[in-house]
Amino acid sequence: MSDAAADKTITERAFNEMLDAQGNVRPHYHAFAQWLASQPDEAMAARRLEADLNFRRIGITFSMAGDADGTERLIPFDLIPRVIPAAEWRRLDQGLKQRVRALNMFIHDIYHDHDIVRAGIVPAEQVFLNAQYRPEMQDVTVAENIYCHVAGIDIVRANAGEFYVLEDNLRVPSGVSYMLENRKMSMRLMPEMFSRARVAPVAHYPDLLLDNLREVAPRNIDDPTVVVLTPGMYNSAYFEHAFLAQQMGVELVEGKDLFVDQNTVYMRTTRGPQRVDVIYRRVDDDFLDPLSFRADSALGVPGLLSACRAQRITLANAIGTGLADDKSTYLFVPDMIRFYLGEEPILSNVPTWQCSRPSELSHVLAHLPELVVKEVHGAGGYGMLVGPTASRAELDEFRARILAHPGHYIAQPTLALSTTPTYVESGVAPRHVDLRPYVLCGKEIRTVPGGLCRVALKEGSLVVNSSQGGGTKDTWVLEE
Amino acid sequence: MRHLIKHTTRYHYTDPVSYSIQVLRLTPRQDEHQRLLRWHIEAPGLLEEQVDAYGNITHTLTLTQPHDAIELKVTGQIEVSPLDGGAVHGEDNRLPVQAYCVPTPLTAYDDGIRAFAQGVLPAGLRGPDDALALAEAIAQRVAYEPGMRTAQTAASQVLAQGHGVCQDHTHLFLACARALGCPARYVSGYLHADADHMSAHAWADLWWPRHGWTSIDVTGRQYASERHCRLAVARDYASASPVRGVRTGGGEESMRMDVLVQQ
Amino acid sequence: MLSRTADHLFWMCRYIERAENTARMLHVNTQLALLPRDEAVHRESWQAMLRLFELEGDFAARYGAPQPQAVIHYMARDADNPSSIYACLRACRENARAVRGSLTTELWETINLTWLTLLRDLDDGVLERSPEQFFEWIKHRAHLVRGVTENTMLVDEALHFMRLGSQLERADNMARMLDVRFHEHEAMAPGGKPGAAQGKALDTDAGEFYRWSAILGCVSALEVYRKVYRDVVTPSRVVELLVLNATLPSSLVALMRGVKDNLARVANGRSAETERQAGLLLAELEYGRIEDILRGPGLHRFLTNFLARVNHLGTRIGRDFLLPLSS
Repeated sequence: MSDAAADKTITERAFNEMLDAQGNVRPHYHAFAQWLASQPDEAMAARRLEADLNFRRIGITFSMAGDADGTERLIPFDLIPRVIPAAEWRRLDQGLKQRVRALNMFIHDIYHDHDIVRAGIVPAEQVFLNAQYRPEMQDVTVAENIYCHVAGIDIVRANAGEFYVLEDNLRVPSGVSYMLENRKMSMRLMPEMFSRARVAPVAHYPDLLLDNLREVAPRNIDDPTVVVLTPGMYNSAYFEHAFLAQQMGVELVEGKDLFVDQNTVYMRTTRGPQRVDVIYRRVDDDFLDPLSFRADSALGVPGLLSACRAQRITLANAIGTGLADDKSTYLFVPDMIRFYLGEEPILSNVPTWQCSRPSELSHVLAHLPELVVKEVHGAGGYGMLVGPTASRAELDEFRARILAHPGHYIAQPTLALSTTPTYVESGVAPRHVDLRPYVLCGKEIRTVPGGLCRVALKEGSLVVNSSQGGGTKDTWVLEE
Repeated sequence: MRHLIKHTTRYHYTDPVSYSIQVLRLTPRQDEHQRLLRWHIEAPGLLEEQVDAYGNITHTLTLTQPHDAIELKVTGQIEVSPLDGGAVHGEDNRLPVQAYCVPTPLTAYDDGIRAFAQGVLPAGLRGPDDALALAEAIAQRVAYEPGMRTAQTAASQVLAQGHGVCQDHTHLFLACARALGCPARYVSGYLHADADHMSAHAWADLWWPRHGWTSIDVTGRQYASERHCRLAVARDYASASPVRGVRTGGGEESMRMDVLVQQ
Repeated sequence: MLSRTADHLFWMCRYIERAENTARMLHVNTQLALLPRDEAVHRESWQAMLRLFELEGDFAARYGAPQPQAVIHYMARDADNPSSIYACLRACRENARAVRGSLTTELWETINLTWLTLLRDLDDGVLERSPEQFFEWIKHRAHLVRGVTENTMLVDEALHFMRLGSQLERADNMARMLDVRFHEHEAMAPGGKPGAAQGKALDTDAGEFYRWSAILGCVSALEVYRKVYRDVVTPSRVVELLVLNATLPSSLVALMRGVKDNLARVANGRSAETERQAGLLLAELEYGRIEDILRGPGLHRFLTNFLARVNHLGTRIGRDFLLPLSS
């Protein structure tokens, strides 16, 4: 262990996925711990090197921007998996499905009758003044009433081992390709582990996704044509777009490959125009349709919104889902579950204070050094204050920002995210992790066991985002 | 008042256009006070009709064969009843009024606009009278240029430059209204100004809980009347414009528009 | 397949051929420069090369007189010359990158590595130190790309468009090269009379022999010539071999045969006219006779006509399959 004193306590206090409070290996980690103990250091080092080389060769990169000379950056992969016992996953799974079902019903409601607003549960301003709300979608019918077909729900575990939902990602959630490639890499480098422990497979995700997308094709289409719409190779997640298209066996297209004629979408092929029925789109709402949204977008397809309204094309995810994954809408998700499903939420939200409320604002300002403060409309871990690790100057600067625009901020207690042993400079040490399971909604709601596990590689850091020095791990859900 | 309308729009391109798609908002709204007697749009292709989220009747025209000109001809007859103090009734629209409080790039309000609006109406935008006062102030502050423009200027720039067309008046009006917390929307349509004068025009609707939607012609500094024929409403020009299109190829575009209205 | 994908593949292959062709041209010129000839003849040689690429004007404006080092620099590594080896390989790699998912890993890596190594070698001054080595290397990389393509790519639409790009480019390059060289030859024939040297044995004029064998060497056809003709090198036979002999893979007739076959394989609802034009051009080559060409329209007219038609085919292919009219 290192000697950064302040962080040491948080990391030490945090729930360790592998070791219990007495330092014993938890039952679901036994098999792995045993195997790891039997491996000579050089063997593990060789494996880690091989993983690096292979990821680089395959070209799984974070961003290809600025690589005129061919160098590309990798997101570091850590060999030690995060292991989750079956019973724990079952509960998580139920909670995820419940949550995403309610979120879809919420989005449907907002673009139809606004019941939850009229019932006084969610304020009208929260919804209709939200920057992600798209009035253009009012009364547009979508297949199976599903708006969010692919959701990435960020889950964290706190000190006592309880799970919380940190954030919902309902627009263009990414990372599933890392989940799949990490599993392939683990199986390749540690095959013995997979015969010893019964790890639930994830490789069928592309099949599930394709199935899902076909299920939501416009009605009366026998053999729907699905495509993946990408902004292009300069987008930081391009690898994933290409990967998923290839795994599903569908075309990867850019906006200029598609056109709309009489409210039907076609792609330009060497055999002439071919009708498209479902678009798995990884382009943001604003850029999707220069005829209806940003006129300067070269990434979209003019007329796409009309085609949606005419029910001749399905977009996955639909336009306008961003309204429900906003950090301020997050506060109402437990209420949504109660309102639409009449059930108690299985998964809890992280306790959150809204700086727009005066009493909560004063609490936040009084406890700033202990809290994590986030911008309501931000993304990617920027525009965020992590109280415990911030300097005096950073705290003061952020305080001023909050006071200037209180409505832009929410605060949450600093969760000591759980930790998992990770390879670091000095050997193996605990590092904070989160989990992003992916939920697919079609005729049914389905998940693959586990998800993308992100790890904060910097010692004591609680920020797992790849854009700020995070890495990933494989996630093993054990079957009974 | 009955209006006989003949509206022709012609686009010319210096190079062939290989593909173009246009959304036309050239059909009068089915508002209570507007009675459509007959209406026809002649276009060089099939028109797909839809009603958009704002309740506007839209037509989409797609041309997939090379072309270097597009001509759209609207002919029709419509009877518009007088409005009582500009009040527009009987809308079936399901969009919540809050949707019209949101600033858009063309109608964003900065400190300058806020100051201007608060200067004109220190007690706020309480009702239709205040709206007329605001229209008066804007019409005085922003010198009127006749005509319409396809390229749009943002409200803050309109205020700064001090001159503009009716669309600019309207965008500034919307920005001020929203800055004062009042739902406001852009109206596109025809104005029968006098016996020989007809034009495509832009004005605004404001909403209060007590009054509902009230229609104000900012440039004209008056309530809208039976001389105003409403084609479309939206948050700003971008979503309400009579014609909006995207094309592939074409080189330079030039447009000519002729509107003829007889009473 | 997506039109845009086919377009990238088509151009990816055109560019690698273009790069190789440039390297071969430069190689020939470098070898010819070793012969004892008049200063004027040498200069004309380099000028002819620039003419072949229609770059005389641009070169003169930016570099001045056709000094060998300057021309080599211009044609090999000038980033602002769209026909330079550097520019062509960059374009090849950019097109490949855009459709990386459509290429086998091996093909992508071959192209990518070619580009990265080119950058390193240019940096190291390999071109200036040992130009012949440099040109040979480009040639071998092109062979490698072709080999990896034929051996690893699935035989489907993608491959047919790649072959089309390759064949059209090579046909264009061959026709241009012949036109310029033959024109050069006519201008320099003993006695200066055009046509005077046709059919006449050249062994008496050592310089002429080296020129024509250099041209044959440029397209790796010298030994083939010997095998086919078992006789001395004459200009008309060189032309016959390179234009009308179907057994030489890089002859115009063999390349056009390829174009026609590949077009047939990708034919869609509106490519019939393009196929017809390709077939017509092929038939003229298949049934043509060298005497008719040389006596009748003359080689220059024939080649100019051929170039225009090949060019037109490229445009038609673009329209029928690859991209909309304008973008």
